[in-house]
Amino acid sequence: MTAPLPAPQQSLGDVAELPTVTFGHRSLMWWGTLGFMVIEGWTLALITAMYFYLRQNFHSWPPLINGQPLTPSLTIPTINLIVMLVSMAPAYLAARAAKRLDEGGVKLWLLISSLISLVIPVLRWYELWALNVRWDTNAYGTAAWTIVGTHASLLVLDVADTLGLTLLYWVRRMPIKAMSDVADNSFYWYFMVLVWVPLYLIVYVGPHLFF
Amino acid sequence: MGPDAGWTSYPPLSGPAYSPGHRVDVWAQVVTFTEIAALVAAVNIIVTVFKMRAPGMSLNRIPLFVWSQLVVSFMIVFAMPAVATASTLQLAADRAVSTQWFNPAEGGDALLWQHIFWFFGHPEVYIIFLPGLGFITPIIETFTRRRVFGYTAIVLANITTGFFAFGLWVHHMFATPIPELGQSLFTAASMLIAIPTGVQIFCWLVTLFSGRPRLTAAMLFILGFFFTFVNGGLTGVMLASVTFDKQVHDTFFVVAHLHYVLLGGAIMPLFAAFYYWFPKVTGRLLSETLGKWNAWLFIIGVNVAFFPMHILGLNGMPRRIYTYLAETGWGPLNALVTLGAVIVVLSVALFVVNAAISWRAGRLASANPWDSYGLEWATPSPAPNYNFVNTPVVLGRHPLWDTGSPLPVITGLRSDRREVLITTTFDARPDHRHKHPRASIWPFVMALAMGITWIGSIFTPWAILVGLGITLLVMLGWGWASSQDIEVERVDTEDRIVEAA
Repeated sequence: MTAPLPAPQQSLGDVAELPTVTFGHRSLMWWGTLGFMVIEGWTLALITAMYFYLRQNFHSWPPLINGQPLTPSLTIPTINLIVMLVSMAPAYLAARAAKRLDEGGVKLWLLISSLISLVIPVLRWYELWALNVRWDTNAYGTAAWTIVGTHASLLVLDVADTLGLTLLYWVRRMPIKAMSDVADNSFYWYFMVLVWVPLYLIVYVGPHLFF
Repeated sequence: MGPDAGWTSYPPLSGPAYSPGHRVDVWAQVVTFTEIAALVAAVNIIVTVFKMRAPGMSLNRIPLFVWSQLVVSFMIVFAMPAVATASTLQLAADRAVSTQWFNPAEGGDALLWQHIFWFFGHPEVYIIFLPGLGFITPIIETFTRRRVFGYTAIVLANITTGFFAFGLWVHHMFATPIPELGQSLFTAASMLIAIPTGVQIFCWLVTLFSGRPRLTAAMLFILGFFFTFVNGGLTGVMLASVTFDKQVHDTFFVVAHLHYVLLGGAIMPLFAAFYYWFPKVTGRLLSETLGKWNAWLFIIGVNVAFFPMHILGLNGMPRRIYTYLAETGWGPLNALVTLGAVIVVLSVALFVVNAAISWRAGRLASANPWDSYGLEWATPSPAPNYNFVNTPVVLGRHPLWDTGSPLPVITGLRSDRREVLITTTFDARPDHRHKHPRASIWPFVMALAMGITWIGSIFTPWAILVGLGITLLVMLGWGWASSQDIEVERVDTEDRIVEAA
């Protein structure tokens, strides 16, 4: 069909001078990222609540197997926590370079972020076994594995995102708009690391205190 | 293939011991797949409402339908993770990799399923009918030519309903062993939620009485909503009482209640919305004569079908049975229920005929056939996919009634790429221009990868790992494709604006 000609309209302003790329809470992707942080943080909170709910079904927590408590080991989880906290520094520097449109800085700090981020999933694998219980041993093992495993899925995704961004920045000329994506990637990384701190305390340190 | 453990899939029935095979896995993984889609859509709607409004549409000028969608989206964000967790991380995992969530022998807990399922399930009821409540305001305003009474009260009632909806789930579990204090709390909360809904109903009634309603088909459905939904709400308050609830637990009384609420609260407004917005979508009006028959038959049919169920339930007829003995005396009322169902079928058949005929040969609709006020009525019918040539500026809650047509606009968005205006969250002042991505095959490829992952995961947990790998590769491909799009942009680095590519 032919659309009718638009009637003359009064213009109350012109937006041609407005920016087309912004950072942080002004940009759409930042809000989208925040939305997924809420969903994923809430999922982890629900699983943690269920971990405590199941506590009422056991006489001791962690439960005893052959008279021995299933307390988790602390060495690998603590090392990984430190590595994760340290990894926030290159993430921050990459975001800062992105906001200054400093492409050299972005490439450097993304590369360093990537190298550190590769270590974390490997440590996470040993961290799962540091629980000293299998997921199918009992409900305690199930809940602990699910908390650590669910967080591991966020971790793997963000590592992959960081590696992908790094690869693209090193092999291609990237549009300037991607600078905002680099900043959002760091924003998600902070979330992924910071949400782990209470989970680490609950799953690894908690059993030593509760028992 | 069909799931066979009921729509609530309670363990232990749905667990590995009593439901071997993959039937329940279909339920579990398709539920999660769907909820992930719902979550993505909810984030999309929240961001759109917060950042992409027409300039001038401050928070206190957002149409009430959009408010209800915003509240629903927030509810989805907090409700759907519960059912996705329950179905995939718990039920499917118990079945596929022997986790012990619901196995009491290893410290698991079958009742935990009911908690987490209903923590999703009860908000879901409100997720279903809050959009229905959102349809009502513009339809009443349009057909009474009155601005709604109590806009702010309705917005606050919407938000309050969204919060309270998360505090009611245990009333689905009154027949399980829960502490008395818990019973009292959830009884109180279940009664409390009637208040914000009541506030909205009173605001609409005041609006109706202050004008002279035009009884179009859409308006008849809204009047049907008042009659039917309020009855359903009242039985809801009755059911909130533990003693009464236990008396009618699992009887037809509950079936009557939920159909009054959902047919009255969601389906009748949905029909009204269909009549109201059909011309904007198709460019043609639905037949009003058939529409009025549709409305009257539906309202009468629903009440004939479901009112007798209250009495049947009080007489002890249980839910989920396919037959009963003649001596129970339930026969005559059940015959009446069947008659009501036939009337509903007739009504819906008329609706289908009406929609099919009107789609092809209905009366042509002008841009604003109802003389309404919303921005959508300023576009031609059917609305073009770009909506507006220039973005309109909003100066009040009822743009076309406040400023008349044509609406004032802002100019300066580029038309040689998909540029949209981003506005500030509270006051909707123009903030920056955003370039949407070009059309691309990659989102579809991503959807395929996700579909393969979830369908595969019905049969083997390894599909999750393989699917994750494919999905990550698709992510990289998508990033690679979109990085080709190099253009000069105006970058706001927070201390200056730089032109760069």
